[in-house]
Amino acid sequence: MKKTVMLGAAALAVAAAPATAQDAYVIGVTGAMTGPSAGTLGPAVEGLRIYIDRLNAAGGVNGKPVKLVLQDDSSEPSKAAANVKKLVGQDNVILLVNSSLSSTYAPMLAETKRAEVPVLFVGAVCPKEVLPPTPDPLQFCTTNFGQGYDSRAALTFVKETTNEPIRIGFASMAIPISRGEMEYASEHARSLGMATVGHETIPPPTPDYTPFATKLKDANPNWVASWAPWVTEVRTVEALRRLGWQGNYIAIAHVEAELDLARVKDPKFFVMGANGFFIDNLPIHAEVREAVKKAGAQYPAEQMTEGWVGGMTIEAALKSISGPATRASMLAAMNTLKVDTKGLRGGPIEFTKDNHYRTRQHYRIYSWDTDKSQLRRVKDWITYEVK
Amino acid sequence: MQLVVNILVLTAIYALISCGYVLIYRVSRVLNLAHGELMMIGAYLLLVTATSFSWSPAIAIGSALVLSLAVGGMVYVFLMRKMTGEMVLAAVLATVALGVLLRGLAILIWSAQIQYPGQPLGLTNPSLKLPGDASISLYSALLIGSTVLVYGTLFAFLRFGRWGVRMRAAGQSPLLAAQRGINLHGVYALAWGLSTLTGALAGILIALDTGLSQTIVLIGLKAFPAALVGGLDSLVGALVGSLIVAAAEVLLIHYVDPLLSDVVPFLVLIGMLVLRPWGLFGTREALDRV
Repeated sequence: MKKTVMLGAAALAVAAAPATAQDAYVIGVTGAMTGPSAGTLGPAVEGLRIYIDRLNAAGGVNGKPVKLVLQDDSSEPSKAAANVKKLVGQDNVILLVNSSLSSTYAPMLAETKRAEVPVLFVGAVCPKEVLPPTPDPLQFCTTNFGQGYDSRAALTFVKETTNEPIRIGFASMAIPISRGEMEYASEHARSLGMATVGHETIPPPTPDYTPFATKLKDANPNWVASWAPWVTEVRTVEALRRLGWQGNYIAIAHVEAELDLARVKDPKFFVMGANGFFIDNLPIHAEVREAVKKAGAQYPAEQMTEGWVGGMTIEAALKSISGPATRASMLAAMNTLKVDTKGLRGGPIEFTKDNHYRTRQHYRIYSWDTDKSQLRRVKDWITYEVK
Repeated sequence: MQLVVNILVLTAIYALISCGYVLIYRVSRVLNLAHGELMMIGAYLLLVTATSFSWSPAIAIGSALVLSLAVGGMVYVFLMRKMTGEMVLAAVLATVALGVLLRGLAILIWSAQIQYPGQPLGLTNPSLKLPGDASISLYSALLIGSTVLVYGTLFAFLRFGRWGVRMRAAGQSPLLAAQRGINLHGVYALAWGLSTLTGALAGILIALDTGLSQTIVLIGLKAFPAALVGGLDSLVGALVGSLIVAAAEVLLIHYVDPLLSDVVPFLVLIGMLVLRPWGLFGTREALDRV
């Protein structure tokens, strides 16, 4: 009798138990939570964590929790390699998220390729390998900015809005990806009939941006474009203004852009990006604000979009997994995925077997409205087909 | 003219930071490799005081500087004092560990996002017009002014001040100084406090000029070659070394390649180490002790 009662109690306990860690979908993250690029990439990791916590609190996905294993790599390749070894070898993740500098990609991919783990870049720059028509089978990206497309869209805006001959200068950070993009933009600008008048490449730990801005100003551009980490973009335009330069400045919108545009209050400082700003006040923005407040986050809600979109993508992929969750089933799910971003972006993110970036990229351009003393949408969603 | 202004601003940044390296080395022969981090903490302390004293920028900045002085003193009392009598290398390694700890603490407390301490204080950073079509930001101008003031005060303090003379004595011969009744621990704690204060002043003005993030530590590191070029035990040397490094950096950015700016301080340093390893105004004896 005693034995029967014990067995019954055990059976009840098993039936009543919440989903355990063993049942969970395990997702690994290597991200720059500390280090020089943490200001831009840290919010992506935190946004993703808050999204997944919220998802779990609502019952998880398919009745199972999602276990997010976070590892800080401080943007250091060696740390990223060690993180990925652990996440792949010990934690048995079915998906690896990278929210770090591009210098961490090579050591990470060496591990993930060996173990055939799909990789999702969230908030980190999208590598060319995710682009159509022949993307790397294991790499996917939800980050709002992308090489080539951003510069083409920015230069199209410059050309459309300028009635005088265009003399354009460029500012990049001394990292290969930023420098390469501005070299590409320079070539593209020439093909559009613009005169390119200078390109300043600025090292990251610069105490004073004025010497670089001086050289750029001396080249006498009426436009300056920048595709670099936010710190370089915003400090360059501020240094140019302090030197009395009156031209237009266009930069890619990173997570810091919305709050910083309101701080700088410069009507000729344009930012272009694929994330809608929180000034739109959509229901999703209210949702993010509430979750961020509840979680007591380190970063403000306006910087959470990248992490949120990453979370939406992971949720959508997990939902479409049928059968046991394995790396192969996760990969299959990622290859045919459509994610409703609920207005955080200009449209859904769609991955196909031939396109691990998105089938359409939507851009908005914002600036400061001096008359109304608030941010303004200079141009609403502009859509580009990504082929 | 703008080039001259740019050189002066960068000189002021490097000089204000590097005098902290010199003060501690000159008095205690310890190379403080956590100086950049202490500078960062000083700047972050302004964020704290800016919230409490948002109605008075002067009080907020003054409080942050006083707190920085206290932090420097406490670093000596609670950490570096324990290194007394140990090998110099042990003390240097302790500063490395301190730096790692402070970086971690800063992330935990203030996050990694760029902060603008001028905002809660309602401070703006207007551009000032100078002759020759040159411009300078308000805080860059204050950086130059502060550097002049700090160096002038330090020279006077070390030459005429009672504690300044004691600091010099302790730097020249700790044994004789102790035998004359000088409180060595007090002198060392003061040196750490003053070093952190001057670093904090640099950090605060840089933060008010361009914003504050943990990357400010790297600026502290870039100022280190300026101190070495001038001679690690000489304040005049720190000033001249800063001018040389800053001029080389600005001129190479303008006339050669901006990418060189990152390596220029270290190129100048290598050149100096080959020609005169003890620096322009340093002494051979000091180098031997390193």
